[in-house]
Amino acid sequence: MRAEIATLQEDMERLGYIADPAITTALFLSREMRRPLLIEGDAGVGKTEIAKVLARLLSTELIRLQCYEGLDVSTALYEWNYQRQMLRLRLAEQEHKSADEIEDLIFGRSYLLERPLLRAITRREGPAVLLIDEIDRADDGFEAFLLEVLSDFQVTIPELGTIRAEHIPYVILTSNRTREIGDALRRRCLYLYIEHPSLEKEVRILRARVPGAGAALSEEIGRFMQALRRRRLSKAPGVAETIDWAQALLHLHRDHLDRETVEETLGCILKDQHDLRDLSGAALDPVLAEATG
Amino acid sequence: MSDPSDLVHHLADFSRALRDHGVGINMSDEADGLSALTLIDLGDRAEVRRALRTALKIRPRDLAVFEELFDRLWTARTGSARLLAQKRSVPVAGRSRPQSGAPRPGRDAALESVMPEGEEPGYSPEAVLRRKPFDELSPADLLAMERLLARLALRLATRRSRRRVPSVRGEIDLRRSFRRAIAHGGEYLSLARRTRAVEEPRLVVLCDTSGSMDPHARFLLGFMLALRRVAKSERSSEIFAFNTTLVRLTPFLRTLAPERLSRVLERLAAEVPDWAGGTRIGECLAEFVDHHLDQRVDARTVVIILSDGLDRGDIAPLADAMRAIHSRARRVLWLNPLAGDQRYEPTARAMAAALPYVDQLLPAHNLESLERLLPLLAA
Repeated sequence: MRAEIATLQEDMERLGYIADPAITTALFLSREMRRPLLIEGDAGVGKTEIAKVLARLLSTELIRLQCYEGLDVSTALYEWNYQRQMLRLRLAEQEHKSADEIEDLIFGRSYLLERPLLRAITRREGPAVLLIDEIDRADDGFEAFLLEVLSDFQVTIPELGTIRAEHIPYVILTSNRTREIGDALRRRCLYLYIEHPSLEKEVRILRARVPGAGAALSEEIGRFMQALRRRRLSKAPGVAETIDWAQALLHLHRDHLDRETVEETLGCILKDQHDLRDLSGAALDPVLAEATG
Repeated sequence: MSDPSDLVHHLADFSRALRDHGVGINMSDEADGLSALTLIDLGDRAEVRRALRTALKIRPRDLAVFEELFDRLWTARTGSARLLAQKRSVPVAGRSRPQSGAPRPGRDAALESVMPEGEEPGYSPEAVLRRKPFDELSPADLLAMERLLARLALRLATRRSRRRVPSVRGEIDLRRSFRRAIAHGGEYLSLARRTRAVEEPRLVVLCDTSGSMDPHARFLLGFMLALRRVAKSERSSEIFAFNTTLVRLTPFLRTLAPERLSRVLERLAAEVPDWAGGTRIGECLAEFVDHHLDQRVDARTVVIILSDGLDRGDIAPLADAMRAIHSRARRVLWLNPLAGDQRYEPTARAMAAALPYVDQLLPAHNLESLERLLPLLAA
């Protein structure tokens, strides 16, 4: 293994993120090749967390663009501050300025509202980490636009001209795979698919994130989650849920899993009513037996 | 592996093997793979594997093929030995192209990739004998249906996207209003407006062509073909047929679209194995979930299943598959010709198992009942 990759793994672990080699190799390559990293996987496997840890690791700013259906350029890239422009325009008229002067005035950088994408490429203090979260929720049109920005790292604003990136940001895109990401965008990126963690990894994550839970309880929780994910569930719980659950159990001062405890707190890990119904009462026993037996 | 040109060959051969097994890798991916390999420890086989997975962008559905080919073809130390002496003949379970026997003349190339070779007899050994002539759909029926559909097709496109587009009516668009005002020296003579875009629905149709559905399947499939042709969403709609196996019909339709409907149907009956044979809904839908769900169904997609739900197979896979489809699609419609009968209760085992994951169960015994379907395909 390359020494840098091993170091990266230790550094991430120091910040509380237990990364397996697949994750660190992908991060390392994306950093060295200066390419965006597209991370796919079920909800709650720790995709977004990677960007956060990376920003802390590089001691830089995390700039986040949360995608949603209907996201457009004025929310993602830039918008003019119309109200201020209008006020300035009225003032300028009283000052009897010429049309050209007025134009220069109101289309200056100070009237520009920078949205995440623009902020990520104009940051002067060094490269930021740009997190484009849940890209699968944006429409295909936005994806095409994003491809352009991620290829050139420059943006053209008609009134201002072309703005080139001061520093090329580290870009991380995440997707829950509710739809397939277009080939062109996928090819622009490097790719990482994160699966649910193994028992050993999950227990290590728990020990790092919820140290108060203790070794025995963490092990039981880990085994319970593994057993749960082997069932047919419509929404398999992720590590995020495991951590929530461990914290909840800690607050309730529980130190081992029994049926009553699990029933009371099942809502922390199962977020689908079919799943909750299927796993109530006696149906829990076999899962519990696997966890505690 | 010290000689870089050796590495290039090695990677090119490996990529070709992946392509041969249906994993989409192109030149830019290969270039990425090469840059990645120069950055890592080539002596560490596990690291090479991880780096290639990332740089070649291997998705989970292609992972099994990747792993298997990597194990076979990527030797830890190539040195001067050219590795891939046997590369082209490596079969990978489930994904290799048909290799037994010469391709039958006259068959579509697109067909080759979607049609399983007919090795499995399925439920009904006489299935092949039961391909009947196409005479039940009269030309008059078809004409009437196409006229009706052309009239109704406009109703299809009514889903409102959250995306905004310029419009005469709707909310005020500040950005454009301001632009316009500048042209008039800062006076808002007219306000620009915008409204939510209208979006085409995507359709995925799964049609049961088993024996019990035979009188209906051709008619329903014909209806779907006509719908697909008049709808603007032709390119984003998919049609599958199933009985004991699942067959993607879309590639056939692309080449046959301008032909008459009855000819298309005739050709389909000849090509679909076991047309009018037994049925295994659960297995077929599970296959759909495994191989097509991610790619062809998203939050905009309406999934239509045409079946009477009479199945002799195991119902557990059916419920699982229906749950997976339902959780991903915009809406799941089940068209059941039996539901046209007033006394019908969805008690057939398969139908009952699927019902919790069906947004609407609709009759499909005549054209009028199909007409009621249209508004449900959008909105």
